[in-house]
Amino acid sequence: MAGIDVGGHGNKRATNHDIPLIPFIDFLLCLVAFLLVTAVWSQMARINADARVPGPPSSEPPTEEKKEKHLHVEMRGERKFQLVWKEGSTVVNTIDVVRKQVNAGAEGEYRYPDLADKIKEEWTKNGTHRAASDKKLDQAVLHTDNSTPFSDVIAVIDAIYTPQRDFDIGGKTTKVASFNVTFAMN
Amino acid sequence: MSAEKPLSRFHQAISVPGRRLMHHVPLAFVRKKVLGGGGRAVNQEIPLIPFIDFLLCIVLFLLASFSASGELPIDKNVKLPKAENVIDMTDAPIVAITGTQILVDGNPAGSTRAIVEANRLQKIDDLFARLKAKRELWSQLNPGKPFPGVVVLQVDRKVPALVVKSVFQTAALGGFPNVSFMVGRLGGASSSGGGKE
Repeated sequence: MAGIDVGGHGNKRATNHDIPLIPFIDFLLCLVAFLLVTAVWSQMARINADARVPGPPSSEPPTEEKKEKHLHVEMRGERKFQLVWKEGSTVVNTIDVVRKQVNAGAEGEYRYPDLADKIKEEWTKNGTHRAASDKKLDQAVLHTDNSTPFSDVIAVIDAIYTPQRDFDIGGKTTKVASFNVTFAMN
Repeated sequence: MSAEKPLSRFHQAISVPGRRLMHHVPLAFVRKKVLGGGGRAVNQEIPLIPFIDFLLCIVLFLLASFSASGELPIDKNVKLPKAENVIDMTDAPIVAITGTQILVDGNPAGSTRAIVEANRLQKIDDLFARLKAKRELWSQLNPGKPFPGVVVLQVDRKVPALVVKSVFQTAALGGFPNVSFMVGRLGGASSSGGGKE
């Protein structure tokens, strides 16, 4: 035990005292336990969607608009998804993907890995914005039924964000999702 | 001089080295103690001071990272979906959509019932007014800075897409076109996906 020795003289009151360290340690341990129990270990994240179509506003005068290919993901079918590449209103290509749910987690979560693989393959073949210095992303437009539950919408957006590409931010290259997702407002 | 002759035969000025004091104490265990013999000491001091230092460091770290209200206020009625390709959370206004209510940073800003009953996409006036006010307040507090226009939607997993799209559209009209959906992390994925920040 820690003590303070200041010398002692005769019959006077004792001047040597032991600091009671054990209760102090008990108190500290209680404090540690309380703080650990009340600590917030956040598992929250976010998934992006963007209403700025075709991209963020620019101060430069608009040049002649070149029609870009957009990927339209149609999720209104009960048995299949439809991936449609469009240039303006012109349909370039249409691909059907079987709607096959795969469970992912104990809380009834599910994913669409077949859809994710097909979207990745399609971006590899037809994606426009690939260079790390390219600040624009390819656009995906999601078509949903009004009654579709939000969890299903997130599962499809998650599949759309599967393909990733390099992206330069301040001289540093990071990985970002290849597509930017927005909703079809119909 | 033979080897058997005892040394005490002579009147010696120098005697055989060894302990002299306390030799004649009659109690054996006392004699053993006072002579300083015996094995290694069995009483050990636990070094408490470094242990206390360590505990103090932990306490200080935990106190520094302690948040009385929690990091993210999640409405207890909202059960979030989970996703793999996500990015880290950002500091932005939170629009929560529970079963029937729409809340902006905890304050009521409309009802989902009207949208579901109308069964068509529509602008939510209360939400629009609240978001517009937030945008104007931000512009007054940060003059000259470009407005980020980020809003985080905290949507229950059972809410129909019609309500989500209505809120999405209203947020865009209210000056928050950069919409993020709050989700849980699924399977410990890296935070590199989920779109450009």
